Amino acid sequence: MVYLMKRFNAKLFFSFSNCQSVFLSGLLLMLAISTVTVSGAAMARDIPPDPLNSIMWTSMAERFMPEGEIVFDDRVKVMAPFSAEDQFHVPVTVDASQLDNVEKIIIVADLNPIPLVMNMRPVKALSYIGFRLKLQQTSPIHVGVKTTDGVWHVGYAVIDAAGGGCTAPAAAHGNADWMRTLGQTRAIASRTDNSSARMTMRMRHPMDTGLAVGIPAFYLNELEVKNSAGELVASLELFEPVSENPTFTLRPQVGIEADTLSVSTRDTEGNLVDFALSIPAASDS
Amino acid sequence: MRRKHTLLAAASTIAMGVAGLSGSVQALDVSIEEIMNDQASGDDIVSYGLGPRGQRYSPLDTLNKDNIKNLYPVWSFSFGGEKQRGQESQPLIKDGVMYVTGSYSRMWAIDIKSGEELWQYDARLPEGILPCCDVVNRGAAILGDKVYFGTLDAKMVALDAKTGKVVWRKTIGDYEAGYSYTAAPLIVPTDAHGPLIVTGNSGGEFGVVGAVEARHPDTGELVWSRPTIEGHMGTLNGEESTMTGTRNESWPGDMWENGGGATWLGGTYDPDTKLAYFGTGNPAPWNSYLRPGDNKWTSSRIAINPENGEVEWAFQSTPHDGWDYDGVNEFISFDMEKDGEVIQAGATADRNGFFYVLDRTNGEFISANPFVQNITWAKGIDENGRPIWDPENRPGNPAESADGKQGKAIFAVPSFLGGKNWMPMAYSQNTKNFYIPSNEWGMDIWNEPVTYKKGAAYLGAGFTIKPIFDDYIGSLKAMDPATGQVKWEYKNKAPLWGGVLTTAGGLVMTGTPEGYLKAFDDETGEELWKFQTGTGIVSSPITWEQDGEQYVAIVTGWGGAVPLWGGEVAKVVSYLNQGGSVWVFKIPEGLASR
Repeated sequence: MVYLMKRFNAKLFFSFSNCQSVFLSGLLLMLAISTVTVSGAAMARDIPPDPLNSIMWTSMAERFMPEGEIVFDDRVKVMAPFSAEDQFHVPVTVDASQLDNVEKIIIVADLNPIPLVMNMRPVKALSYIGFRLKLQQTSPIHVGVKTTDGVWHVGYAVIDAAGGGCTAPAAAHGNADWMRTLGQTRAIASRTDNSSARMTMRMRHPMDTGLAVGIPAFYLNELEVKNSAGELVASLELFEPVSENPTFTLRPQVGIEADTLSVSTRDTEGNLVDFALSIPAASDS
Repeated sequence: MRRKHTLLAAASTIAMGVAGLSGSVQALDVSIEEIMNDQASGDDIVSYGLGPRGQRYSPLDTLNKDNIKNLYPVWSFSFGGEKQRGQESQPLIKDGVMYVTGSYSRMWAIDIKSGEELWQYDARLPEGILPCCDVVNRGAAILGDKVYFGTLDAKMVALDAKTGKVVWRKTIGDYEAGYSYTAAPLIVPTDAHGPLIVTGNSGGEFGVVGAVEARHPDTGELVWSRPTIEGHMGTLNGEESTMTGTRNESWPGDMWENGGGATWLGGTYDPDTKLAYFGTGNPAPWNSYLRPGDNKWTSSRIAINPENGEVEWAFQSTPHDGWDYDGVNEFISFDMEKDGEVIQAGATADRNGFFYVLDRTNGEFISANPFVQNITWAKGIDENGRPIWDPENRPGNPAESADGKQGKAIFAVPSFLGGKNWMPMAYSQNTKNFYIPSNEWGMDIWNEPVTYKKGAAYLGAGFTIKPIFDDYIGSLKAMDPATGQVKWEYKNKAPLWGGVLTTAGGLVMTGTPEGYLKAFDDETGEELWKFQTGTGIVSSPITWEQDGEQYVAIVTGWGGAVPLWGGEVAKVVSYLNQGGSVWVFKIPEGLASR
């Protein structure tokens, strides 16, 4: 009975919030296929079955990993609690640092009303991201890591959760003057070894999903890290399921010299928050 | 019949295919020239007021006095949610898309053919906003590939017109000090900086300082600012420019520091004189005994050179105001024929009940005539444009009362909501008349002591509104600006709170709080057509042409200042229901010629 209920809910959410974008990506897919046929290359791909048996897996793969071969790969490690004690702040760590030539990392919570959590591009960073997300209900988490050869390497976890993480108002709204602290950030960076560092940040932001009654969507949607040479270290495109007061851990690649990381963020209202983090030289640490 | 249907469908598919193709190749790109020529082009509306002069006159004549009886709704779009309240917005139209703002700082893009939403932007407002007079918005501006509007927390937002995503967002004022923003932004051309987006501010009831500010449309970066109150410094290119007036010339002590003069209704621009005209609000506080002097430039019209933000001229309609007679009402440029001469004139119907005509090149006074009845606060306007006060009808000084707590109450006409409030009038190039949405009401008003406190109401007055006549308050009047004669009048039971549109087809259109959108004969005032929208109308109608058909649109939703401040008037309006929609009308195919 419970299983059936969940299944029904999931379908409902799917058709409700996402039919338009599904339709669009469907169109794109058709275009892509017809082009491929003309050039005589391989036909439509097979989407491998999901080890978690998620009823949403095929549509998640079609929407968020639209082209290229899909393989389940143990090198994409998704670390998450078995059961979420707080469905508003569920800690998840993705480590795909054993994979080379990573282009982007897509994180999806299949049964959230808004499934896409983030799209990360590690340019001069390890394929590693720690963060927290909101869960509406028990859900599989799928992480697609696309390498430059066009292959999606997929890892997964399942998190048990009580309901309501995405449709309840943010805790900040208990305070009438929450906007005064908007964007306040704590961050720290340290050197791990001769070639990498670790940075963690936490920003005050309600990360409103737009699904709580009377509260429009309002969330941090862009985060970019650059090094002192101005090179892009990593860029993150963020979506509504990222938790309130979002927390991120990244692992930038650095040289042995001291470096300064510039972090810039922007939310959906155009609020900008920028700050810098220094990494000591290898000889100093 | 069936066969004809199929053929039509096939034809429209082809047309859509072509339109879709050109749409995807050409990004939206509204030029400053299009905005300046907006009045002449009937196929779009890219400015507030149907052209920079704000005449609200459309050259379209497909819809006329004979066929308006066939005007029917095409679609209605709901603003949704629980956030209804007053809807005072005028939509913009470009390339088959309507851009319309609503209460609580929201905006929508709607496909005009289908009435379907393309996107919605919902500003995330803080809890502590301080709008004095309902959570309204009056409209957007459009330039290049962006649409612009101001929010209740005193921010200016630029949105990508295709997606509704925020491009930039800048602060106009501190919302915790009482600043907010409700007017439609104005776009003006300059030689020095290119097109600029020019805004005023709101918050006159909280002792803010009125200002006009110009920003770069691409970045939101401030180019110049011009405070309206004597003694404050303006800025140009990030540096102090000049002081407005001379400090303490018409203000005592430090009262100028929180002097009011909010430019809360935005402005107009005249491409002939190359001046931007802004009106300024009441002085703060309302108790006039605390600020002896003329209190410049409150309750005034100021003409600003958009190249540098300097004041070219100013005209004060109510010096030393003691009745909350804001001077914000729109200043409409028009060419007036009088005694065989053509005068570069401008006209404005003031809160204080007088209709002023000025020389728009230099601000010189030409004439002032009452447009509401039984005005008591002044006996008239002298030959220099200065009111002849009636000392009996200025509320008394509380300092002269026995306990010092309340001055003598008097009855003044018009009321503080004005002979005319924010709702814009229209000027017909057809009849050479102005069509003024006005109200016949007065008030009991008395003064109290008050001191300034950040974020608190700064009034020092108490008041209650009373109708003057038993059977009506609202009054739409046709006025000849050359003679000051009222040509015709339409009386409405509830106060009128919506703007007016007039067309080359001989129509005058406005909405009523009772929910009707109405059309009148521009020569006689005869009511030709009405449609019940289901909630009160407090916004300004528009008309445009698309695919060879003339459309009309009106935003509906009862609210605004009347139900909040209405006094005895509340009885007339308390039964009116809220709403939040935009209605679009046209004449069904084949009926235009009947």
